[in-house]
Amino acid sequence: MTHSVELTDIRKTFPGVVANDDVSLSVNKGEVHVILGENGAGKSTLMNILYGLYQPDGGTIRIDGEEKEFESPQDAINEGIGMIHQHFKLVGPMTITENIILGSEPKKSLGMSVDMETARREVKELSERYGFDINPEDAVEDVSVGVRQRVEILRALYRGADILILDEPTAVLTPDEIESLFVVFDELIEQGKTIIFITHKLDEVMSVADDISVLRDGKRITTIPAEEATNNRLAELMVGDEVLLELDRDPHPKGEELLRVDDLQIEGDDATLVDDVTLSVREGEVLGIAGVDGNGQTVLSDAIAGLIELDDGSVTFDGEDATEWGRNRLNDAGLSYIPPDRQEQGLVMNFDHGENVILGEQHTFPIGRRMRDDELAEEIVAEYDVKTSGVETSVKSLSGGNQQKLLVGRELERDPKLVIASNPTRGLDVGSIEFIHEQLLSARRNDRGVLLISSKLDELQQLSDRIAVIYEGEIIDTVDPETVTERELGLLMAGQELVTEETDSVSNENTLQAKRIEDENK
Amino acid sequence: MIEDMNLTRIENTTLTRRRIGLLALAIVAVVALLVSPYRDGITSIVNVGFFNTALVLSVPITLAGIGGLYSEKSGVINIGIEGFLIAGAFTSVLVTGATAGSLGADNAVWLGLLAAVVVGSVGALVFGVVCIRYKADQVIAGLAVWFIFLGLAPFLSRVYWGNINSPTVATFNQVAIPILSDIPWIGRLLFTNYPTTYIMLIVVPVAWYVLKHTSFGMWVRASGEHPESLDTAGINVNRVRYVSIMISGALSGIGGAALTLSTVGQFIGQGQTIVGGDGFIGIVAYLMGNYNPLGTFAAALLFAGLDALQLRLQQIGLDIAPELFGAVPYVAVIIVLVLFGYTRIPANAGENYESGDD
Repeated sequence: MTHSVELTDIRKTFPGVVANDDVSLSVNKGEVHVILGENGAGKSTLMNILYGLYQPDGGTIRIDGEEKEFESPQDAINEGIGMIHQHFKLVGPMTITENIILGSEPKKSLGMSVDMETARREVKELSERYGFDINPEDAVEDVSVGVRQRVEILRALYRGADILILDEPTAVLTPDEIESLFVVFDELIEQGKTIIFITHKLDEVMSVADDISVLRDGKRITTIPAEEATNNRLAELMVGDEVLLELDRDPHPKGEELLRVDDLQIEGDDATLVDDVTLSVREGEVLGIAGVDGNGQTVLSDAIAGLIELDDGSVTFDGEDATEWGRNRLNDAGLSYIPPDRQEQGLVMNFDHGENVILGEQHTFPIGRRMRDDELAEEIVAEYDVKTSGVETSVKSLSGGNQQKLLVGRELERDPKLVIASNPTRGLDVGSIEFIHEQLLSARRNDRGVLLISSKLDELQQLSDRIAVIYEGEIIDTVDPETVTERELGLLMAGQELVTEETDSVSNENTLQAKRIEDENK
Repeated sequence: MIEDMNLTRIENTTLTRRRIGLLALAIVAVVALLVSPYRDGITSIVNVGFFNTALVLSVPITLAGIGGLYSEKSGVINIGIEGFLIAGAFTSVLVTGATAGSLGADNAVWLGLLAAVVVGSVGALVFGVVCIRYKADQVIAGLAVWFIFLGLAPFLSRVYWGNINSPTVATFNQVAIPILSDIPWIGRLLFTNYPTTYIMLIVVPVAWYVLKHTSFGMWVRASGEHPESLDTAGINVNRVRYVSIMISGALSGIGGAALTLSTVGQFIGQGQTIVGGDGFIGIVAYLMGNYNPLGTFAAALLFAGLDALQLRLQQIGLDIAPELFGAVPYVAVIIVLVLFGYTRIPANAGENYESGDD
């Protein structure tokens, strides 16, 4: 069998980091080759090199046995390589057709103008061949994320791609959309395409891969056929000697009620986002909120943190009515917030460490003092194990995990009574996850309250004293993490009531979803 | 986000309805005025001459506006077009004046126009290098362009002619297009014009067609909305932006030359120079026209019409402060942006793009 892609000793360094350390890799024609690794393992860098976005410092690329040099994506496209990026590269106001043909437009009138009719027909034919249900006339900004991904795939196929690189394609998809993406994979393989699939999610690997290459710290650790892989083995290979610790969550006496939310209601433009939510958190308690992303939990956490005005209901913080307080006053009163998006909401990317750590406290500084606190930054860097080249560098240069540690450090160092942590470990590597879990538990030990919003079940079960499940804006049940099973949680998150004879009354679809959630936690 | 977009769509349809309503109202008002007792007074002001003046006055606004919209559509906000208009106005007079003796007036004006295009394009290229290569803030760099030419042109005028205003040079003659110019009314309005006006009348539809129906137009739109999409499609984003910026410089150059070489024949360096804010009104025009060359032309005609009206009223002795008329475009654009809000600024306008950024 010929190797479709053969990478030899690819090396790429960025200032201070070796992203790819002499990586060699062979991908067979007509197969799904999974590249597995934690965040920062160098997967995306390697693929950006193969796609011509980065130039390697050393090493060679062979396509179908021939050595190639890619100076730009155009070179890679010419060799039949297409890449579907994690963040879509689509122009929102343009139609699906326009997006697909961009850069390779069919021409008419002696090459003067774009032949839209031909383009539309070709797009239609292409999408039908792969069983995609899309309307070529829709503007990209009007269609769902799943459809946008298909547009990306079609865009690569339109350019004649034989080798498709998909960079973490499932990160943005719902479980249903993931299922149908894998159906698309089968279709593509059947048509003779080769797929390189980058991911860090173990459960996905087993269901689609032919071969699996594991990357860690910029090196390729090994490549094994999927039949020989098990979840445990892959996890070991991925994290090396790091293993997830069983966390030490001793029973801890609960104190006074810190936070009380009554009948909270938030209306969106055309739907109720949060519907009549009532909850409370006491001192020394972790209340988990479980839910599939997009069920109102982000709006709920923003509302409690004082960022969004309530349409109805009340928030009581530490015995006082805090409904009208707003973020600033709540912050001063001791309510910290770790928002879900560290880059957009949590930190200012262009600020350095010293400037970022005073955000939220800036108004308490005497006027005229420099708007920074390097001492505090140094303290957080040391205590929260932030790997940085200095507190005066912008936080943009930090890896995601270190940004998050800095953010968590800032929010916990101001000694809050209660901290709202919204998806605090999303997209982080195992080491950082463990560290942040430990910090949240230590906050609990110090009699602080924690409201933990997460879409990860293992995280919720390990940390929470109680878990409330949110579905379409409503809290549909509150369960005990000690006794509830992952399967039951999965059902609740899918909007199913818990019943006693589970096996008979549950629809097939929900079993699938519960199984997925179970797999994810293996 | 998707919901938001749907919402704006719905708003857009009601908007279209509202716009049609407004148009109908305007037509009714015009008809009412024409049958009213004021009819004679109105037609003595608003006649073919009035529309012709408006058309001539709209040339620099339209050309600068279309240039500005190309630049901004590609992702580079060019508020320096006022400066490029000044550069074009000055250069055209300088070159025409200097060469009229040896080449004859007819050739000299065309050479003056060409020189204005060259200076506009080269100036815009420098502006592009500052913004793209050296990542300067586009708005600040654009302001600098304006200030530089606002100071430089009168200064050079003083050095070269010993006066802040240039002497009068040769100008374009109106060209009547055979047969077509004999059509009553239309013939005088559209087919008896200065060459620069014809250029504008050609540029408007071509600019629209290029933006909407050619590959380059698609690249320009993608470059301003989501440059990564263009980069990953194998098109060099910065090259598209350089070309767009140079288009804005070249068109502004023609616009500036139109100001001096059609009618006046002189560069005036006093105050805001002969350009007098046409570049800024050009920006207002493309914002009101929602980045559509046809809409930009319509808005420019409207503003130029107001200007012509004011001139007309002065001629018949009705002296309304010109400053009041001068403020109308800016007030109008704020009303349009706030009340109608359909103008959609390219998502990445003002952002530098570097390949490989994630």
